[in-house]
Amino acid sequence: MGRFAGREIRKAILDMAFSGATVHIGCAFSIVEVVAVLYRNHLRIDPEHPRAPDRDYLVLSKGHGVMAQYACLREHGVLSEAAIAAYFRDGSLLKGLADAHIPGVDATCGSLGHGLSVATGLALAAKRHGTEQKVYAIVGDGELDEGAVWEAMLFASQFQLDNLIVVVDKNGFQAMGSTDEVLALGDIEGKFRAFGCDAVTVDGHDEQALDDAYTRMKQAANGRAKAIVAVTVKGKGVSFMEHNNVWHYTRLTAETHAAAVRELEYPA
Amino acid sequence: MRNAFSDALVAAAVADPNVLLLTGDHGYALFDAFRKARPGQYINCGVAEQNMVGVAAGLAKGGFRPIVYGLAAFVPIRVLEQIKIDVCSEQLGVVLIGDGAGFVYGHLGSSHQSTEDIAATRSIPGLAVLSPADRFEMTATMQLALSLGTPVYMRVGKSDRGDVHAAPVALRAGQMLCVRPGKGSVAILATGSMVRTAIDVAPAAADAEVWSVPSIKPFDGEQLAAIAHHADALVTMEEHSTMGGLGACVAEQLAALRPRPLLRVGVEDRFSQFCGSWDYLLHEHALDTTSVRQRVERFVARNREIAATV
Repeated sequence: MGRFAGREIRKAILDMAFSGATVHIGCAFSIVEVVAVLYRNHLRIDPEHPRAPDRDYLVLSKGHGVMAQYACLREHGVLSEAAIAAYFRDGSLLKGLADAHIPGVDATCGSLGHGLSVATGLALAAKRHGTEQKVYAIVGDGELDEGAVWEAMLFASQFQLDNLIVVVDKNGFQAMGSTDEVLALGDIEGKFRAFGCDAVTVDGHDEQALDDAYTRMKQAANGRAKAIVAVTVKGKGVSFMEHNNVWHYTRLTAETHAAAVRELEYPA
Repeated sequence: MRNAFSDALVAAAVADPNVLLLTGDHGYALFDAFRKARPGQYINCGVAEQNMVGVAAGLAKGGFRPIVYGLAAFVPIRVLEQIKIDVCSEQLGVVLIGDGAGFVYGHLGSSHQSTEDIAATRSIPGLAVLSPADRFEMTATMQLALSLGTPVYMRVGKSDRGDVHAAPVALRAGQMLCVRPGKGSVAILATGSMVRTAIDVAPAAADAEVWSVPSIKPFDGEQLAAIAHHADALVTMEEHSTMGGLGACVAEQLAALRPRPLLRVGVEDRFSQFCGSWDYLLHEHALDTTSVRQRVERFVARNREIAATV
């Protein structure tokens, strides 16, 4: 199995969610390829020194997808098997939302609309230090309801933060329904363009397309912040979870866990 | 006091190129000297306070020392969650300045008045709360804030009430500063603009001693215990709600250390009703010198009666 293989990451997420009896499986599944390609080919971090000041940053602004990041950090050797196995236990390290006290996690997110501003500050810090560091921020499409997201994009454009790469996980759902039902977002790519970004829309489960988008966006030192709209499937990878928003909240049983794992091992 | 504030900002920026001043499009003339001395360290974040605090957190994580400036009604109140999560959960060295606290923007109405900021910030873990009373305390609190390396909220209120100290002061975190010796039976603890009022009413309050409290959090309980050891009754004064501010802090400490009769002078759980100047609004809230003097006199007299009957 290759490094940061989607199937392995999804299996790790299922195991974490089952052993910890936790939710947000769909939120993690939709960003698996988004984070896998980042960790595999783009994000410069030293697993021995995950807080080294010259690292690239990854801010998981939609902190709800954090199990996908934990799985990658385990594969990187930043998080131990024991830490992963203890997910959600009393007194354990890994919380149910992104928390900056965890090695490899760069901002505390989960209250939505925070991470992109912190990422913007990190990008400005890198610019002022004159480094080549990149700052990746993954935001949910539901999170785009938060006004602070757009404050951050105005700021990123004003301060020409072309080292900031925003990835929108466009899975079409938020907590209580589809994004169209709750607060329709319209043309997301167009919105980011209107805010001064270079923006592109890609299939968020097509690793090659994501890889190309990251490469292009990283290289364009043109004074414009970057946005990649990754069109994804909430619950991607397990048929009964795909496009089914109950997996924002539903906990796995022994039966659903086994069924989901079977699908990953023998995909239709 | 505003000159001392500007001087402290400029001195901090000159001493350390990593000091950055972030403003939410406020502080027009206040930052003239700063922008002249260190234009590259001045960042106007626009009317976008939530993002400003998040950006400050990111800058602090990236090695900078941000000072975030806003009106107290917005920084900290509008951005309380950003302060809690982005700044304080990681104990980042960000100094947050809330200017115009209390009734400074009296004519503009409740949106620009701020009498809940101490209460809101004091309960956030690891966030220090400073509140200078004059130019000397401004200089000392700015030095303290910048030296801590952890989150600080600095409350800046009415700035033209004159000096309460005769000379520059040294300040350690939590320390109360005596600004008027008294007979010792009544002690007034005041912060910010109300220190001047406390000094003015002290002669009518059994010749009370007056302490300025520029550091509301941390707060030196031992020093309070020492004051309560010789004072039979205490009064607190603040241009802030009686809930959660200095008065509440002192009440909490006294209850644990040495219970004493305590009069908390402050805003009594109400918004301002009318438009008006700072002087007018202090009168509306019974925080003007005459009203406060009458309340303190009644408090002292009642305590004397109670003492005489037991």
